[in-house]
Amino acid sequence: MSFADLTAALKEISETWSPFDFMLAAKHVDLFLLGLRNTILLLVGSLCLASLLAIPLAAVRAARTPIFNTCVLAYTYLFRGTPLLVQVYMLYYGAAQFAFVRDSFLWTVLREPWWCAFICMILCSGAYITEVFRGAIEAVPRGEIEAAKACGMSEAKLFRRITLPNAFRSALPAYANEVIFSAHATVIASTITIVDILGAAKHFNNKYYLAFDGFIIAAGLYMLIVYAITRGFRFWEGKWHRHLSRVHA
Amino acid sequence: MEAVLQFSPFLLAGLKVTIALSLVSIMVAVLLGLLGAWAKLSGSRRTRRIAELYTTLVRGVPDLVLMLLLYFGGQMALNRIGNATGLWDYVELDAFTAGFLAIGFIFGSYMTETFRGAFLAIPRGQIEAGIAIGMSGFVLFQRIIWPQLVRYALPSFTNIWLSLMKTTALVSVMGLEDLVYNGYAAGKTTHQPFTFMFVVLIAYLVMTAVSDVGLRWLDRRYSAHLQRA
Amino acid sequence: MTVSSNSDANSWGRRIISGDQDLAIRPDNPRKSGLKLQVRDLRKAFGALEVLKGVSLDAYEHDVISILGASGSGKSTFLRCINFLEAPTGGTIKLNDEAIKTWIGPSGNQLPADPKQLQRVRSKLAMVFQNFNLWSHMTVMENVIEGPISVLGVERRQAIANAERLLEKVGLSDRRNYYPALLSGGQQQRAAIARALAMDPEVLLFDEPTSALDPELVGEVLAIIRALAAEGRTMIIVTHEMAFARDASTRVIFFREGQIEEEGPPDQTMTRPASLHFQRFLARSHR
Repeated sequence: MSFADLTAALKEISETWSPFDFMLAAKHVDLFLLGLRNTILLLVGSLCLASLLAIPLAAVRAARTPIFNTCVLAYTYLFRGTPLLVQVYMLYYGAAQFAFVRDSFLWTVLREPWWCAFICMILCSGAYITEVFRGAIEAVPRGEIEAAKACGMSEAKLFRRITLPNAFRSALPAYANEVIFSAHATVIASTITIVDILGAAKHFNNKYYLAFDGFIIAAGLYMLIVYAITRGFRFWEGKWHRHLSRVHA
Repeated sequence: MEAVLQFSPFLLAGLKVTIALSLVSIMVAVLLGLLGAWAKLSGSRRTRRIAELYTTLVRGVPDLVLMLLLYFGGQMALNRIGNATGLWDYVELDAFTAGFLAIGFIFGSYMTETFRGAFLAIPRGQIEAGIAIGMSGFVLFQRIIWPQLVRYALPSFTNIWLSLMKTTALVSVMGLEDLVYNGYAAGKTTHQPFTFMFVVLIAYLVMTAVSDVGLRWLDRRYSAHLQRA
Repeated sequence: MTVSSNSDANSWGRRIISGDQDLAIRPDNPRKSGLKLQVRDLRKAFGALEVLKGVSLDAYEHDVISILGASGSGKSTFLRCINFLEAPTGGTIKLNDEAIKTWIGPSGNQLPADPKQLQRVRSKLAMVFQNFNLWSHMTVMENVIEGPISVLGVERRQAIANAERLLEKVGLSDRRNYYPALLSGGQQQRAAIARALAMDPEVLLFDEPTSALDPELVGEVLAIIRALAAEGRTMIIVTHEMAFARDASTRVIFFREGQIEEEGPPDQTMTRPASLHFQRFLARSHR
């Protein structure tokens, strides 16, 4: 069997038997890699910033600081209570409605679909993560905080040294969940012309008039991402638990 | 503002589609969730595996991708089966049907976990008391298990319902004329996209708030007798 | 039965004899009362662990049988096997001479062959649990009428009338609309007894009915069980209450390691136990 025969056989399988045409897809690896890169960039970038945003906001929520608490609550309620798609549409299509936006420096950012998706992802994930962190901060055992106060720790130090590490640990499973949902949410980017994984799949389908082959590839890639996230967090959790048990042993 | 008033019947029609889609989807999700929970709790390893595969798939693939797959792929699969068996002619899956099937499928997997947890939360002894009194499987489910299942599942059900409503927005991408689609179209026509998307945003916020309050009230009512006075 | 080495002094009281001669001549109640529940050679194993190693027991009308024994002796399992909450691995169970039909499942357990029949038998074998197991989503009244309505098909109004009578009897008339979570343990157990009585059972099974109660609440529950005994109800009670076993039951059975070690009328067995293990057990519980 020559190499040509093999290729022909593969082509045959690919076109008629496989659920999607993998030979054709292989020709466009670079397209899907670009999509993968963009999805990961969007996910990791927005998650980092959202988590940084969430820490002070969660502290405010947990401490029930008057006025600020209400503001933060309004923010999380707004972003958790409405579809991300609508938020993105509002920023991307909506911003152009106002002349002052179009004339200002904002326009350099808001006319780019990438930045619109990025901003919305940060704000939306930030809202969810804030509530996750708030729950974890409130769940820190009172006794540990009292013990720290009894040591004479300052409020700031107490928060940094006792509350946060404790809260991070207990928040980890819920946080992992949020990360997975954020990964799901990144597909919104494809609705405003960004070539993320789903965007690449759409391009692929349109180019060859395929109904869904690209979507199968996309589904596979997303599953890979989610799998990696799950494994990553399991590793992280295991590490922390090991560390904990060594301390107590 | 005038434009919004002028287009309000159009927006309301979209709102109706969104609400109808949400309601039908949650029913599918509840049915699939019960089925999935039953499969996960069943003794048979094969059914457990299938349920496991189901929840893993949904956890791994974003909703929009699953929706598109079902919309385009499901339609093609249906027609291929129809062709091969000769049982039916060409069928077209409309966006509404594909939408509620896909959303029901997705949220059915979350419901599976919810119902599984709720079932495990029912004190085993109360089920035994029903068995000991001679209840048949059906009566036991109807009188003892279901009412408690509802109560234990309600908080998680509330979360699932709230996120399901938001997920319905995605069907606008497939061309279903729901609230988002109509809002977008109206915004484009009037050159006021921000205003219309803002109205849509508020509409979702109101739906969320109303459901939240309503379901929380239900929850308090259902679990009133759980707390000691 | 492997244990037949009891002294002759109390062997007249035994009705369980190895082999098939179930005959029962009781000096106090000869022949007059019918055989209600007959258990023959009941066995139960969890994997390699044998919990019941062939237990037989006959309960006649008006019998009040107290089952004693250390924890882990298999007495609760025995009770739970009688109504198939636990599937036994061997033996037969007959209620009013009707055997529960079974088949041997893949795991070696006896599985009910006729669910309808089992449900009917269960409805005549009411059970009172250690942890009450009241249905928490129903009020006391709803708990009591649930079985009669949904299992026996009694008319609602009649079920309520009957339940009112029973709640009066257990002293809970004023709590009929309370949810279980609002009641004390003693009240919950009394409600559970009313729920069991509502089924109008042939035999009442009590699985350590006072073990989960605070000491000061034990009395109110025992008083009701005593009253039921005095009424002439047929009852099997797994208990740790020695005083109750001594003066309320017609027969005492001592379980050890999945077998009946000794049995007989309480005045006899409990004052002059033949088995060394039973002696030790009684001595320990008197301390």
